[in-house]
Amino acid sequence: MTAEPVAAIVSLARGIAAESRYFPGALLSAFLLVPGVSAAADTSQGAQIAATCASCHDPTGRGQGIPPLTTLDEQTIVKRMRAFRASESPSHVMHAVALSLGDDELAAVARYLADSAYAGRQP
Amino acid sequence: MTGWTRRQIGGLAAGALVATAAPHIAHGRGRPRVVVVGGGIGGATVARYLADLETIDVTLIEPNPTHVTCFFSNLYLAGLRSLDSLTFDLRSLAERHRITFIRMRAVAIDPTARSVVLQDGARLGFDRLVVAPGIAFKLGEIGGYDEAAAEIMPHAWVAGPQSELLRRQLESMEDGGVFVIAAPANPFRCPPAPYERASLVAYYLKQFKPRSKVLILDAKDRFSGQELFQDAWSRHYPGMIEWLPVQFIGKTRAVDAATRSVVTEGETFKAAVANVIPPQKAGSIAERTGLTDATGWCPVDPLTFESTLQRGIHVVGDAIIGGDMPKSAFSANSQAKACCFAVAAALTGSPRFPPHLFNSCYTFLAPDDAFTNAITFAPKDGKIKTVKMFISKVGESAKVRRRLAHQAVGWYSAFTADVFGGVS
Ligand SMILES: Cc1cc2nc3c(=O)[nH]c(=O)nc-3n(C[C@H](O)[C@H](O)[C@H](O)COP(=O)(O)OP(=O)(O)OC[C@H]3O[C@@H](n4cnc5c(N)ncnc54)[C@H](O)[C@@H]3O)c2cc1C
Repeated sequence: MTAEPVAAIVSLARGIAAESRYFPGALLSAFLLVPGVSAAADTSQGAQIAATCASCHDPTGRGQGIPPLTTLDEQTIVKRMRAFRASESPSHVMHAVALSLGDDELAAVARYLADSAYAGRQP
Repeated sequence: MTGWTRRQIGGLAAGALVATAAPHIAHGRGRPRVVVVGGGIGGATVARYLADLETIDVTLIEPNPTHVTCFFSNLYLAGLRSLDSLTFDLRSLAERHRITFIRMRAVAIDPTARSVVLQDGARLGFDRLVVAPGIAFKLGEIGGYDEAAAEIMPHAWVAGPQSELLRRQLESMEDGGVFVIAAPANPFRCPPAPYERASLVAYYLKQFKPRSKVLILDAKDRFSGQELFQDAWSRHYPGMIEWLPVQFIGKTRAVDAATRSVVTEGETFKAAVANVIPPQKAGSIAERTGLTDATGWCPVDPLTFESTLQRGIHVVGDAIIGGDMPKSAFSANSQAKACCFAVAAALTGSPRFPPHLFNSCYTFLAPDDAFTNAITFAPKDGKIKTVKMFISKVGESAKVRRRLAHQAVGWYSAFTADVFGGVS
């Protein structure tokens, strides 16, 4: 077992996650070092809401049929969610989700998703 | 199910599960300890999300080494998916997410001592317990329908051997026969599923046994997604599916396995294949633990999913009184996440936010025609209430429906990766 080194890298990644708003690239590469390892999820508001996204959007971005969220930056997520909120088409599922999020919640989840923790979290 | 022998089970227990060897009570240990009973959709989700927080020790108790999903099992019935592709390994989930997996049945729960008794007599202490036992059948309500009758007139309402049995019966049925579905009154597991099953069985019959029919004997006068189903039945399977509501035939009150007949209050229906879906209640461990009320289901606090009858014990999934939330895998997964963050807040002081409760189900009308609903919920006056609901509409283009059928397949793989940690 390689428990120690893996744990060390994971905690490194978590340390970076705290500052990831400033170093998103660094975070991503830290996660790329440890494919297949489940990094600790946090309990921030963004993380708790993003758990709902993961019921349909594969966090690795490998999914088909349902668009991945892994390539989107924070502003794009906010912009798209506002559009979903405004109209039942093209997706009544996303319309329902978008209507259920207040502006603060939307900002929190968009930041969390874009911070790549989501992208790097292997299921 | 699988070819596991007792020796292998014993070997697994000895190797992976040091925890059972020394039963103890959790208090005073370093990390708080959560035990999850039931490794289906609700239980696996809660175990996985709690373990990923890396602040809590999580033990999952489930007798089966694998989980076969009920969702998409109607596609299996119609020959459109293999059962293998619907089967998930709980040992891999446990390994990847550092969950202690005990492959046993929980036989009793002691809420005062805060311990679970396993089938081998060992006791396991907990700081919090999550119970997700799914459903049990109220076998007494349909005369003559017992476990032996279910081997002749399968329910296939828990996926696995029952699904295989129903598939075999469908395959060997003669052309011109009647496939009877006896559908229960509300509430029951997955409200649109009997009608999805009727659709996909008709899809199979249309290709291979075109003189056959599907007959639904319903204990209700209305059902979930009714307009969408009836529209699809007239488009895809004209004259093949007949639905008889309770006002015409009365409730199903008995079966006769010897003649494969279903007896309602008004009539007797002889079937070539009889799929009898009995009325349901919470899984039996919930009842034995005093988690259920007179309805047979478990009342819970909708913010935390803590039982209102037994403090320190949470219940998620089909077993709860979910208010407006349907008994679905999506609901179980959504409740499990809300429950996880509430349990973490109680045990580790992590922040709490209002839960986002959501349900979105894909339902197949034909392989390339599916519809969805999307419902958001919020706790209100101690109950779970619908906030907004959207559903596909009759008259949508074939292109839209094809896209939804394609999305359903993507949803299945993302959702099962979320629940079981991405390994099958
Ligand atoms: C035909 C069909 C189609 C469906 N389609 C959909 C769909 O498209 N979308 C959707 O969202 N839902 C669908 N569902 C519903 C979905 O399958 C259920 O709602 C979901 O499985 C509920 O999850 P659960 O965790 O409550 O129960 P389950 O998944 O049944 O898990 C319960 C687990 O608890 C274990 N258990 C019970 N007692 C004990 C004990 N004493 N000790 C240890 N373990 C125990 C059982 O072995 C089982 O593994 C469908 C259902 C059916 C029947």
